[in-house]
Amino acid sequence: MDERELFAKYRETGDVALRNLLVERYLYIASLLAKKFAGRGVEYDDLYQVASLALVKGVERFDETKGLKFSTFITPTITGEIKNYFRDRSRLVHLPRKVAELRAGVRRESEAFAAETGRSPTAKELAARLGASEEEIVHAAEAGGVVSLDRPADEDGMSLYDVLSSEDESFEHFENREAVHSAMKALSPTERALISFRFGQELSQTETAKRMGVSQMYISRLERKVLEKLRESLKGDMA
Amino acid sequence: MKEYMTIALPLSRELMTALRLATGGVCSLAGVDLERSEDCKVCVTESLLLLMHAGYPSARVGFWEEDGLLVRVSGEGERGAAAPTEEDEISFALLGALAEQTETEKEGGALARLSFRFGK
Repeated sequence: MDERELFAKYRETGDVALRNLLVERYLYIASLLAKKFAGRGVEYDDLYQVASLALVKGVERFDETKGLKFSTFITPTITGEIKNYFRDRSRLVHLPRKVAELRAGVRRESEAFAAETGRSPTAKELAARLGASEEEIVHAAEAGGVVSLDRPADEDGMSLYDVLSSEDESFEHFENREAVHSAMKALSPTERALISFRFGQELSQTETAKRMGVSQMYISRLERKVLEKLRESLKGDMA
Repeated sequence: MKEYMTIALPLSRELMTALRLATGGVCSLAGVDLERSEDCKVCVTESLLLLMHAGYPSARVGFWEEDGLLVRVSGEGERGAAAPTEEDEISFALLGALAEQTETEKEGGALARLSFRFGK
């Protein structure tokens, strides 16, 4: 059965097996697009998950009678979802680290700039605020994004919570550390475990779900909730 | 219309990172914000992949100031056998999704030039 026939039959019958067949057939597009957007500070696994969910939704929405090929229809749909995900993540708090000070600075100043002007800054504007060259700013962006809670807190696999509890003087932004520490205390043990697995040990959502004995979907929902909670808490502390 | 720079390069995957860095630098000069600068890098890479699959051995990438940044990518050299892939369609759709005013030109039935814009 070709693409058009498959979609027509699915539209007619609503057969879940057909939907699954369609999703499996086009899963490579989700993988391909996730790879193209990896390296902006979000792991491939997470992007692949976002892309796959967008694919499922796209299969539901696609109208084969409009003459468009599915790949042409689904690419902007998945791209849009991935970009929304980046925007959601960009609102996260950041963890200053000496080795990534510039990258953390880029995120901090980008947010401040956006709050002041209502638009995203150029590299030149960030360079002026951070006292760095434009090349350094561009290079920091190219090197894989800025430091945020989705990065491992320590190369030895220490959890974010553990690291934030230490008196390590390498953290130059004491007030930020204390704010995050305090926000973490307000989380439940399950929520702290999630943060530890995901951002301390840098496990994928699937791995985290296995460790915690729950579904990956549950982890996905919980993660979003916890990060939002942390963000709100920190926003309140720093206001 | 001011030209920022033009780069001619052999179409090999090894040079993509260098070109991505150069693209980021030009985006900065052109006042393109960081998010769209990342998108522009993706578009440049996709354009080169498309020309590679069309059989070109090298390409020329020009960056121009025109209501932001206009990028023109053209195939150069004697065109060999085209090796289109299923991914080409996705590359075209991605260009359309990320850039403003994407245009393509063909020569002898094969893709020869692409241009796209990123506004300020």
